[in-house]
Amino acid sequence: MKVLRVSKLTIALFVLPCLLLYICLVFVPILVSLYSGLLDWNGIGESTFVGLENFTNLFFNDKVFWPAVKRTLMFAVFSMAEIPIALFIAILLNRFIRRPNFLVSSYFLPVILSVVIIGQLWMTIYNPASMGGMLNQILEALNLKSWTRSWLTDPAIAMYSIYFVALWQYLGYHTLIQFTGIQNIPADLYEAAKIDGAEGLKADWHITFPMNIPIFKISIVLAFIGSLQAFDMIMVMTGGGPANATDVIATHMYNMSFKSMKYGYGSSIAAFLVGVCLVATIIINYLFNRLERKYS
Amino acid sequence: MTTMKRILKLALTGTLALSLAACGAANKPATTGGTEGEGAKETGSKPQNITITFQNIYPDPTDPKQGMLKKIVKQYEEMHPNVKIELDSLNTDQQKLKLKTQAASKEVPDITIVNPAAQMQPFVEAGLLAPLNDMVEKNGLKDTFQEGILDWYTFDGNLYALSDGNNIGLVYYNKELFEQGGVEVPTTFEEMIEVVKALKAKGIQPMAIGEKDTWTGSFLFMNMLLRTNGPGFLQQVVDGSKTFEDPAFIEAVDAFQNLVQAGAFQEGATSFDYNAGENLFKTGKAAMYYMGSWATGGIEASSVDGKVGVFKFPTINGKGNPDEFMLAPGSAFAISANSKHLEETKDFLNYFMLNFPKEAFEVRGAVGIAQKVDGDFKAAGYSDMAMEVLSMFKDVKGGDIAFDNTMNSGTAQVHLTSIQNLFVQKKDPAEVAKEHQDGYESNIKK
Repeated sequence: MKVLRVSKLTIALFVLPCLLLYICLVFVPILVSLYSGLLDWNGIGESTFVGLENFTNLFFNDKVFWPAVKRTLMFAVFSMAEIPIALFIAILLNRFIRRPNFLVSSYFLPVILSVVIIGQLWMTIYNPASMGGMLNQILEALNLKSWTRSWLTDPAIAMYSIYFVALWQYLGYHTLIQFTGIQNIPADLYEAAKIDGAEGLKADWHITFPMNIPIFKISIVLAFIGSLQAFDMIMVMTGGGPANATDVIATHMYNMSFKSMKYGYGSSIAAFLVGVCLVATIIINYLFNRLERKYS
Repeated sequence: MTTMKRILKLALTGTLALSLAACGAANKPATTGGTEGEGAKETGSKPQNITITFQNIYPDPTDPKQGMLKKIVKQYEEMHPNVKIELDSLNTDQQKLKLKTQAASKEVPDITIVNPAAQMQPFVEAGLLAPLNDMVEKNGLKDTFQEGILDWYTFDGNLYALSDGNNIGLVYYNKELFEQGGVEVPTTFEEMIEVVKALKAKGIQPMAIGEKDTWTGSFLFMNMLLRTNGPGFLQQVVDGSKTFEDPAFIEAVDAFQNLVQAGAFQEGATSFDYNAGENLFKTGKAAMYYMGSWATGGIEASSVDGKVGVFKFPTINGKGNPDEFMLAPGSAFAISANSKHLEETKDFLNYFMLNFPKEAFEVRGAVGIAQKVDGDFKAAGYSDMAMEVLSMFKDVKGGDIAFDNTMNSGTAQVHLTSIQNLFVQKKDPAEVAKEHQDGYESNIKK
């Protein structure tokens, strides 16, 4: 340990550049946006200080806000629910496929495609049959005309159509993460388990799952934060419409800031979003620390 | 692990910032002494290589206006080898958003597009736009504009933008499809509903709209309001003599819902953007299309050319005057007050606007432009439809301008969303009216 002991000054010196950048690029903007949240400001002209008025309006008078929060949280729940499935696929791949790398990379493919491309692709799939929408055409061909919907323009289902695309896109991502985690589990553990009579799913339950918890946590955090910030796909596919039916926190913030030109109000939504992310990260970390302690 | 990710993110952001900064500093002085352009007004010093960013709303390559834009830009670049015009072509809604984002960071492109009256007011008040009073006098540019059109872009005696159009709202219809459907041009709104139903029964798509860009539905709705109330409703609201819960407004919402519920618009209308909606009509897949007369050129250049006629939006419940139109003083070219090359940009825009009418006339895009056009439209090969539109201009007896040109952005957004909602679900008109009133009250300046 002694070799590693360097003076605190040196440590400070080496950390400083990164810390400065970090403060400038992350903390200062957050503080600035917190402050803008207290202003009545259109973003380009004069601003007046209105205290917490934006926040009270947001929490008590905004008809779009709470439904948007609900949709965002639903998004997060769905994304997290997807991870056990990803883990399961990873286990299957690892066990039954001789050369799984090709499959894993194919599943990963949608992740590296631009969201705009994904959005456009799925928009054409979801289109009404008269406009060449693939999904509806298939349903019609299968004599299931009563199942056809205008997937992106019916307020009752538009949001679920978007969830599905997001889940589809990120399944490969989480599968890859879990897959890598599984491969890092030493094979002798399984061999030892085999001698003890634990094979297949039983081995997974007692070895793969506990050993993979840290990796699981990464996926959960990524999925959660990612869906809180969901923005681009919704912007491309529906723009928050029809009539706010697919608005989430981030799109609502954007619409308020730039379309309605209420920059101060938008900033107060941003502040709320930062708060939610922070709290959620702390909770997830706490839960997983307990889980890890339990298994180690 | 999360820290690692954060650091990585940070490093990436840093690199990006640096590379952006490097790009920003790329305005190096010219090393080779290029030949001086004819019109360059240099004061002794060597002409520098400069780039002028030209944000515009002609992204559709099939629209003759885009070709015209490129042609004038090319001419100017040939005359001024040291000037490069960089085009940033976006569709209307995207451009509005992009400009607002840019304005928030005070990085307005050299030339941009603003919309008349209330929409451009915040930009003017923030001092982001350069006054063009001196520039418009140069080379007699001012006299090329129609009487009064520049007033929409003038604040406190300063002119801030030059209009590309002066249009009216009307209904285009496909004669062939009308014949197939066995219907006549409607003279009242009630007939129009019948026409919609008749077409629908024959399997013909009655109307097309690109309602993803919310202003399209609003433009149509406002024409209905113009019929049920007469001109100036929004002004009456601002003055306090009326509210959105006025019977005339509710009647308009009701009429609008009747049209939607009759199945006038294509399935999934709210996922079609402006271009996609218009293309339905241009490819003969829809029988009627309500739009500003600026669409004339594009329709002429499409496959339905020769089959299209126009009619005025009819009366509703016997109310209104068809000669009152939705007036659309067009989007307008403005110059950033912080432009690094203010003089050159003004010089270019002056050249651009001087050539605009002539070139637009040539590509048959001169119907509804804001400038006077010399030339015989008929002889230049303009279609009968274009001639019909032109003669309709002569009937104009006043009207209204679009909602978002009259009201502040906050209220306008409430309105646009509320109207978009009518495309996907039936609502009680009184509730829609209340939504508007609440939106208006919470957005007026204290």
